[in-house]
Amino acid sequence: MKRRGFLGACAVVGGAVLLGSEQKPAAVLPKDIFSLIAGVQQHMFPEGSTLPSAGEFNATHFLQETVMHPLYDRDIRKFVIEGAEELQYREKQQFLTYDMVHRERALRAYEKTAYGSEWLDRVMLLSLEGLLSDPIYGGNIHESGWISLQTRGGEPRPVVRYAGK
Amino acid sequence: MSYDFDAVIVGSGAGGGTVAHQLCQAGYKVALLEKGRLIQRGEFSKDELAYCRRDVVTPRLFDEYHIIEEKVDGEWRETPTYESNWSFWNGNIVGGSSNLMSGMFHRMHPDDFRLLSRYGPIKGANIVDWPITYGEMEPYYALAERLIGISGKAQRHPFEPPRSTPDFPQPPTKENEVVKLFDGSCQALGIVPLVTPRAVLSQNQGDRNACYYSNFCGSYGCSSGAKSSSREALIRPALATGNLTLVSNAQVTRLTADGERVKSAEIVDTITGRKRYITARIFVVAAQAHESVRLLLNSANKAHPGGLGNSSGELGKNLIFSAGGSGQGVLKRQNLKGISFSDLMQRGLFVNRSVLDWYMLEKKKGDRHEKIEMKGGLVEFMFEHQNNISRAAKSRYSGEKLLWGKALGEKMKKSFTEGKNIRFEIFNDWLPTDDCHVSVSDTQKDRFGMPVGKLRIHAHSHDLEIASTIADSCEAILRKMGAEDVYSAVSPIPPQNLIAGGCRFGSDPKRSVLNKYCQSHDLPNLFVADASFMPTGGSVPYTWTIYANALRISEYMVGELKKSPQPFSKL
Repeated sequence: MKRRGFLGACAVVGGAVLLGSEQKPAAVLPKDIFSLIAGVQQHMFPEGSTLPSAGEFNATHFLQETVMHPLYDRDIRKFVIEGAEELQYREKQQFLTYDMVHRERALRAYEKTAYGSEWLDRVMLLSLEGLLSDPIYGGNIHESGWISLQTRGGEPRPVVRYAGK
Repeated sequence: MSYDFDAVIVGSGAGGGTVAHQLCQAGYKVALLEKGRLIQRGEFSKDELAYCRRDVVTPRLFDEYHIIEEKVDGEWRETPTYESNWSFWNGNIVGGSSNLMSGMFHRMHPDDFRLLSRYGPIKGANIVDWPITYGEMEPYYALAERLIGISGKAQRHPFEPPRSTPDFPQPPTKENEVVKLFDGSCQALGIVPLVTPRAVLSQNQGDRNACYYSNFCGSYGCSSGAKSSSREALIRPALATGNLTLVSNAQVTRLTADGERVKSAEIVDTITGRKRYITARIFVVAAQAHESVRLLLNSANKAHPGGLGNSSGELGKNLIFSAGGSGQGVLKRQNLKGISFSDLMQRGLFVNRSVLDWYMLEKKKGDRHEKIEMKGGLVEFMFEHQNNISRAAKSRYSGEKLLWGKALGEKMKKSFTEGKNIRFEIFNDWLPTDDCHVSVSDTQKDRFGMPVGKLRIHAHSHDLEIASTIADSCEAILRKMGAEDVYSAVSPIPPQNLIAGGCRFGSDPKRSVLNKYCQSHDLPNLFVADASFMPTGGSVPYTWTIYANALRISEYMVGELKKSPQPFSKL
């Protein structure tokens, strides 16, 4: 299975991804991308669920810090950004103005494309990492993710991110 | 002639660490080279994001990768691992992947040393007997128990290999109450449950503390020193002798050699890029099977055009893995019998159970009543790994639809709080074939300028047949326990952390790379001490055998080093 097969395969606004063309990542996501991803995560992790809401576990700030970290896979970093751009394009920049019903419809329609399905899955995995990784990474605020599932991390807990690498 | 060291060892895992320990204890000066960094006991944490979801103990695949060749629609297709994200690196830190093992330890059976003569040939498989017997290896299995620390309980079973000592040096680690359910279910089915020996201390030993049942063992370094890794059990004591020079962040890119012996190791500092050479009387390669082969192939020169130690043409051939499969079921609160739900859910305690009943199998020969004996395998039972993120991720789909919102929360909560998954893993022989081997790329190089390794991977159909037979019996145990949603999967995809072969040992220099002491037939001061010496792999995880064999060949090395400053004439 070629995991990078989806990269650039069907993105309308995304350019080709060239291996070996890595540049030092910026520290933050573009503002509009950050806002769009936040909107998607709020839909995935709304208030009133068994789980903390995206805002409660700091989902988008965690995602931003994670994908912009030099250790993070450079192709997937691009994919996260380009997938958000593609959603913006599909929804004519209106996604954040939608109510819950329309957001659901837009995301499910995006999920029906191979590219959109991969992107939504990536955002979900990054969200779950934020929900359940050690709070040292900026998510799982006050261990709210662990508490919601009656679990906890292992001991000893990390005192530095990424084992100091 | 003067040398920098008596011995240079490439790789600090189970094989390299053992040889370093034994040579240092005997008074020899050793340089132990490790491409990764040193993470000490007190630095390890149970950080799932770092250790299990990012490359903090392995190289980034864009920088260093392998090319995997698999047969697709009848054609061999190459995929670099930076494409597939299927990493074949396993714990590139001081102590190697032994830091991260689960430590379920088993000796190979006497028949594993004579697979060809015991069971006969199998079409398409390059099966041979080992040049040594179980009897020759047994004293070193016993020594490894004491030296590195293996806890367990000696038990009688027709397929349990014989022991020279009455019992293990330490009692078994603590067990979850689920073993009552497991043992009862096995007995009801006429199956014998066995306590799994573990390379985990149940009691303090020296400055290593007993297991504290962290609930996160496999894939993580141990914070108490209980796990019997090469770093804890061997490298630390070796450093205490004053004879060991540990060189971390050191990628060995080439061994230089003339027609008679290996001269030096070419090393690149992975941080500074500085290159240097270290000389020694002997060189021991233990970089994990596929990487040891790669180093020897990449060390080709005029005197050794096919790579060091490759006059037979066998270097890289007959790569093997551990074949098998896995399965699981869910023990749910409402169906639990015989133990309380709170006991089942108690964190940290081990399942520690294995089944050897299917190590030898029989099947009918055609329509006749005659039966054929076949080599089977071992099964380990355990709880699903308790990593929170990976467990949660399993709940994210309903069919092909991603779940989110309340539906996701409810499914995840149920999964975490209403039951516990119990799993099994089957270990059986991965038969050596012409279609499973290591070579090096003609065109692609890693960040050190070293041609990358190419792994052609193919599983023999016999391996899948054996695993499927065993999987059916394992599912029956889980169902007897009351587990729901029981399933199993047998696959030709190998576990990349259980890799061996490629530098076969044997008596015939024309058909093997190493002699019975894992010494090159061609270059007498070259040894290989990882699992690559194994011509067949047995049906158990390899690590105890790697430790034992490294102890065995270290004894030979010490003997040779004692003989003369210029030792190692060919046998």
